[in-house]
Amino acid sequence: MNTVLSRANTIFAFTLSVLAALTFCCFLTTAFDSNIAPFYVETAKHLVKNTYTQHGEKVDRGHITFDLTSDLDPLFSWNTKQLFIYLMVEYKTPQNKLNQVVLWDKIIVRGGKANLDLKNMNLKYPFYDDGNGLKGHENITMTLNWNVVPGAGLLPRIAGDGRHVFTFPNEYSTKRI
Amino acid sequence: MDYIKSIPTHMDYNGQKLAEQLFQGIILLFAVVGFIWGYVCEQFVQTIYILGAGFVLSCILTLPPWPIYRRSPIQWQKPREEADTETKEVAPAKEKKSSRRKEKTK
Repeated sequence: MNTVLSRANTIFAFTLSVLAALTFCCFLTTAFDSNIAPFYVETAKHLVKNTYTQHGEKVDRGHITFDLTSDLDPLFSWNTKQLFIYLMVEYKTPQNKLNQVVLWDKIIVRGGKANLDLKNMNLKYPFYDDGNGLKGHENITMTLNWNVVPGAGLLPRIAGDGRHVFTFPNEYSTKRI
Repeated sequence: MDYIKSIPTHMDYNGQKLAEQLFQGIILLFAVVGFIWGYVCEQFVQTIYILGAGFVLSCILTLPPWPIYRRSPIQWQKPREEADTETKEVAPAKEKKSSRRKEKTK
């Protein structure tokens, strides 16, 4: 503390320690948030085709469009950097007890539009089964999930409040899509 | 050059203690205020800005050795009139001896 440089060093180090403590306190204020919000999703144009994957396997591929409504504004606290939301289907096939496929996702940055009202959306990623489990499947559950990306702290994976169950037809579609 | 050298750059011990207490107080105060303000307006960046303001303010107040930190100079004892006998008896290294003698001659 007897020279300008040693004082500068001490002040800077002290400021950084205080900043670290503040960041931790900020994390503590949001650590116990539930981060759950309701959503509403509806699907349409259910089609299933028997096509080849890029690896040359002949499998089922589902085609759907969806409407999605959700108000995610409450998920933004002062420790939220962005939201990563993704639409996922879960279903059971004779091959696998649980299949999970992500069909669509979106990043909502801080200050972006988090009040979603999407109509007639196409899938972002192809809906391939790893076999022939999609044709005539009657219990495919669609959910919206999200990661709340924090400024500081943990990265929780949250399942939204809601679900939508749909079926695929018993016939393969031959229409071009 | 003489003018530059005549600028006091020294802080006495009480001044150093005062400076340390001052910047710690300022930064902690700004941190608490910034935390509350950031929480109210839901912007953590506001907290960081306010903390930065506290950092700048405490730099201005405590980095330069302002006169307020030089209020209690150390009271040195007066130098003894005669050369003390101890140094002659112990006979330290030659260099030291010579340097001391030079000092005395001054």
